[in-house]
Amino acid sequence: MQFFQDSFFSAFLLIRSLDPDLLNVVAVSLKVSTLSTLIASLMGIPLGFTISTTDFRGKRAVITFLNTLLALPTVVIGLFVYMFISRRGMLGELGLLYTQEAIVIGQVILIVPIVTTFTISAIHRLDRRYRQTAKTLGADRIQVALVLLREARFGIMSAVVASFGRVISEIGISMMLGGNAKGFTRTMTTAMALEYDRGEFVLAVALGLILMSISLFVNVMLNTIQGRAIS
Amino acid sequence: MLYEIRGLKKIYNGRTVLDLPELSFEKGKIYGLLGPNGSGKTTLLSILGFLNTPSAGDLFYNGRRVSFTEKFLLPFRKEVVVVDQHPILFSTTVYKNVEFGLKVRQVPKSRRPGIIEASLERVGMRDFMHARGGELSGGENQRVAIARALACSPTVMLFDEPTASVDVNHQIVIEEIIRNLHSLEGISILLSTHNLSQAAKLVHERIYLFEGRASAFTHENIYHGPLVNQGGRRYCLVQEKYPFPVNRVEDGPVKISIDPASIEIRKVENAAGKSEEWLHGRINQLTLERDRVRILVDVGVPLNIILDAEAYAAMNLSIGESVRIRCPEKAVAVI
Repeated sequence: MQFFQDSFFSAFLLIRSLDPDLLNVVAVSLKVSTLSTLIASLMGIPLGFTISTTDFRGKRAVITFLNTLLALPTVVIGLFVYMFISRRGMLGELGLLYTQEAIVIGQVILIVPIVTTFTISAIHRLDRRYRQTAKTLGADRIQVALVLLREARFGIMSAVVASFGRVISEIGISMMLGGNAKGFTRTMTTAMALEYDRGEFVLAVALGLILMSISLFVNVMLNTIQGRAIS
Repeated sequence: MLYEIRGLKKIYNGRTVLDLPELSFEKGKIYGLLGPNGSGKTTLLSILGFLNTPSAGDLFYNGRRVSFTEKFLLPFRKEVVVVDQHPILFSTTVYKNVEFGLKVRQVPKSRRPGIIEASLERVGMRDFMHARGGELSGGENQRVAIARALACSPTVMLFDEPTASVDVNHQIVIEEIIRNLHSLEGISILLSTHNLSQAAKLVHERIYLFEGRASAFTHENIYHGPLVNQGGRRYCLVQEKYPFPVNRVEDGPVKISIDPASIEIRKVENAAGKSEEWLHGRINQLTLERDRVRILVDVGVPLNIILDAEAYAAMNLSIGESVRIRCPEKAVAVI
């Protein structure tokens, strides 16, 4: 119990002192997670919208495939991306391995299915009368799409927030593609794993507290958004 | 001619829900599409509003053959607006809802407030300009939806059961708004309703739809029951109690429609003839429909009877009064 209390106390002191190493790890984490969420949103929202508003052969199969991707383990994504960007891989010449860009690529692959399926679900839940009303009032295809996106905005925002929560807390991709290089690709989760291996718990606990605070913030945001969507 | 329909069909999952060989609508009139639920009224309105594609046949709008492609329909949709039975407002203010049609028509921002206020004023909802859609009642919702459509300056407005989901007060207000849209704005109007009394008050021309087809028959007083023999005659026995004579020899359950204008009604003391031919009932409602009176009689089942104003005045009937009614065989059609 004493060990537990000491670790927490030291971790609080570390956070309060704004330790540069700690801040750097947090900054790298936030940077790659924000960037991957942004890119995944730019890809997943239009993709989800197109799938949900277009009738085509195999639509059901595409949705099933996307739902399957939701359960894809991060280490599998890490492994596949590694095979592409390692020196012997197709994209080896780009020198992406063990960079923040590599982490972003892996994380985008991880969360594009989340953003897409959430968007499909948000658009599907919309009352069909929104589309009919926009059409009868003279809206063209793009204006109708904007109406639907606006009406589904809370569902889509939930998708983005949930995706951010997924990438900020993942470790497999960051470890395998980032390499956990101090000051460059060390994220909160990889740093925590490293400190644990070394038996140094103060930084690990401090990062854990920050990660939990971010998760709490993300969940509060998600609940607020969902609450607004219901009311 | 505003609309001309030739061989129009709509088929859903192999079932023909609309089959109209020929039908036309003139400009500048109020048309009423009448018929029971599932008769194809909403489907027809959505096709006429260019929101639904027919499975076969041709539709002509203002003499032009309509090609049901998005690009071709867009300019037509800017002239024709459909107001849904349960209209939905976008999740923003009433003002922004009414502004939507102006935005898509690229009306300059400086002109929009005047148009929006005038449209809301026309339906008596100007005070609700800054309210949000979700804060309104069903009737208010319907009125805002009309204002939103009106702001688009349409030449044709299509109403799907405009008063089906509102209370009596709003019903009267909405009927007045529709009447004014026609008389003051010169808008051609098509409205679907199963309220015959509303149709009688509001519309110039009536089109009856039954099971997707235009029908010369009104299809009022629809009942179903088995065919039975009584005293050498055939009757449809409604609710196992009320016999209506039919001219049909086959057995089995049938659906019948009784022409309200052909039903005989007498005060109790004046009902001559065989007593079994007469059903006893009580008057529940009297409605003036221009030059005739609709009488709703409860004979165990609700029965609509229509009398011309003179015949009604001569009989001096009143609500609550006991009456006897008789349906001659010619008034009953098997459908």
